Amino acid sequence: MSNAILVVGGGFAGLTAAIEAAELGRDVYIVEKTPWLGGRVAQLNKYFPKLCPPSCGLEIQFQRIRKNPRIKFFTQAELIGLVGSKGDYTAKIRLTPRRTAPHNVDFSLLASALTGEADNEFDFGLSKRKALYKAMPFAFPGRYVLDAKTLSKSDMARVAGAKFIDPTQESRDIDLNVGALVVATGWRPYDMTRLTNLGAGRVRNCISNMQLERLASPFGPTGGKIVRPSDNCPPMNVAFVQCAGSRDQNHLNYCSYICCMATFKQCLYLLEQNPNVRITIYYIDLRAPGRYVNVLEKVKAQPNVSFVKGKAAEVAQAEDDRVWLTAEDAVRGEKLKLVYDLVVLATGMQPSLAGVKDFLPLPLDEDGFIAGGEEAGIYAAGCARMPLDVTRAARSGTAAALKAVQTVEGR
Amino acid sequence: MAQYTLQPDINFVRELQDAGGDNLKRCYQCATCAVACPLSPANAPYPRKEMVWASWGLKDKLMKDVDIWLCHNCGNCSDLCPRGARPADAMAAARNMVYKDLTEPSIIGKWMSGIAGLPYLFLIPAALWLVVWSLRAAAKGSYFPRAADGRIVFGEIFYGDYTIDPIFIITFFGACFILYRGVRKLWEMFKPEGNMLVIGQKKSWIRHLAGVLMDEIVTHRKFDDCEDGPTTGKAAGSRKLGHMLLVYSFVILAFVTAVVALGHWGGKIVPAIEVHTPMSLTFPVKILANIGALLMLCGLAALTARRLTQDRLNHVSNFQDWYLLGIIWLVACTGILSQCFRLADALKPAFVAYYFHLVFVWMLFAYLPWSKLGHFVYRTAALVYVRMYGRS
Repeated sequence: MSNAILVVGGGFAGLTAAIEAAELGRDVYIVEKTPWLGGRVAQLNKYFPKLCPPSCGLEIQFQRIRKNPRIKFFTQAELIGLVGSKGDYTAKIRLTPRRTAPHNVDFSLLASALTGEADNEFDFGLSKRKALYKAMPFAFPGRYVLDAKTLSKSDMARVAGAKFIDPTQESRDIDLNVGALVVATGWRPYDMTRLTNLGAGRVRNCISNMQLERLASPFGPTGGKIVRPSDNCPPMNVAFVQCAGSRDQNHLNYCSYICCMATFKQCLYLLEQNPNVRITIYYIDLRAPGRYVNVLEKVKAQPNVSFVKGKAAEVAQAEDDRVWLTAEDAVRGEKLKLVYDLVVLATGMQPSLAGVKDFLPLPLDEDGFIAGGEEAGIYAAGCARMPLDVTRAARSGTAAALKAVQTVEGR
Repeated sequence: MAQYTLQPDINFVRELQDAGGDNLKRCYQCATCAVACPLSPANAPYPRKEMVWASWGLKDKLMKDVDIWLCHNCGNCSDLCPRGARPADAMAAARNMVYKDLTEPSIIGKWMSGIAGLPYLFLIPAALWLVVWSLRAAAKGSYFPRAADGRIVFGEIFYGDYTIDPIFIITFFGACFILYRGVRKLWEMFKPEGNMLVIGQKKSWIRHLAGVLMDEIVTHRKFDDCEDGPTTGKAAGSRKLGHMLLVYSFVILAFVTAVVALGHWGGKIVPAIEVHTPMSLTFPVKILANIGALLMLCGLAALTARRLTQDRLNHVSNFQDWYLLGIIWLVACTGILSQCFRLADALKPAFVAYYFHLVFVWMLFAYLPWSKLGHFVYRTAALVYVRMYGRS
């Protein structure tokens, strides 16, 4: 028997659930697959409702974790087995070695001297990273990671002599005894390469909305300047393709709830950087839930933003690394084939558990969202359950925490 | 703001759904289909507008729409449709509705629109040719007579001069007349409201028809253009080869029939060009006929295989599709069997096979204006029309 709670996933929903449960006096473990907490929010430039930078909200969460001895978290950790029943689970966790010392050593000088490079997954391939890296300045834990696979020959020699680095660290498994679980495994952006008619990710200067977030982020590949990846020039003519792979039975058969708002937000980024930029939004229907309608009104009032009702259904490479986009303006009944400097595909959220072999005894719906499991003392939170914005993901984290607390309470 | 009150025809929507457009109500007007279609023009592209007309039951608009004939049914739109509304099948269903309602007598259109009518369609020629058979049998004294020299000659029963030829001549010219009326009606329906101003010299419809034949039908160019759509990421069997083989086999067999008819009737006046049936296997016209039959089988096999292996989620073949493929299969198989039995000297099977061959050939041609085969006239007419009116 255990009164502890295991939170799977250290994104906004998972952090909220963990903190709320810990602040109610429960012992909490967080298991996070990536090297840092913060999840998808950390990758954004700004987030709703107040369009704050992610460091703003996350910093508060990190402080609450730092100050609360009841919370223990494991990064680069994955749940690889779960046995037992409600109230008494044994979770097997695999810890991938970080290969750096447990305190926050500043490796920036050493990292910049390394030569081996790999695609930076945190920037969705828009930049390269070294073998020794930290994705963002406000990363928590503030520790670097050594990715031994990316080390070049000369890097190995450099690293071998370095203090506070242990390239030989091996992965290890630990068992955690917990009474309840909160599953907040979150989402991944829908894979652009599957959108064959929209260029399958092979058209230069046709990027995803999450890639645009990285371009706009001050800690991103361009230091916050929104430019075309091919030539680093600011785009003058930008198109947004809504429902790129969403509400589509061939891809994601549901509405991801946030992509319209993400586009409006990104229109504001673009206009802030260049008031003369011309933006066209191709849409089927626009979704601005609740008070967010004010943002829609604000964007609509911009003279340089136009809306075309009609899904962009073909994207192809044009000359000078520009992008052809074809859509039917369904209101006027005209097929448009226009060229843009930059095309942004507003791809949707796919639950991280979709199509992935995992060890949770949870029923998933046909799209991969968690649809049940509460009778087993396992509670879903955040986008693992349904597409949500950050506010609602946090709320669902609190709700899951309360249910988990009640499961282990009073025994 | 101008107000427009829709007059939806609910029954028409149901009929369309029965005719193959069963998923059309799933459409949410995203307009992917209009982009997916490489043939669809920039101005008022199809099939999105047809999908909304179909959904709303705007029978008038849909039946008068020339665009349903410009569609060559490659299925790109259905492959990319996010809702599985199958616009390609909805367009085919709209064409099926035209086959059904365009020409009189409309009862044949009704029979032709579902499997329930099939027995009637079959029984008419079956009875007709049985009567011919009985009458001739009474005259000859046997249902399975041999010719004087002991050969099997189908003409002994199904005598050309006053059984087969008159019946088929009446059938052929009757179908032509009905098709002619159908085309006149279609062109009348296609005509936009108001006047049309043509700048420059107006070409006559015959020259446009020649253009369509040479530029599109002989080359099957549109089938290639169909492949130029956005990448769907889905496997699509090409229809060009199968369709082309079938079209050319029809042309060859039509030519053979014309030569034989000319040889037979013309031979009565100019004995030098007389052709006697059955022709010897080495006679050039016979060789050509057998080449035609083989091409027909190849084309049929390719087209049938394509339909059978299609992705069932996005492409469904309707009754008219299977009727047409089925009837051509039956015509080809009974024709080839008749020849084989005749050459193998199997008397009874030969006559039975030939009887069925006549039944199916008659079905193919007599019901042409109401069947999917009518597309070769109606689509050609529509393609000529759009050339005259400058939409392509």
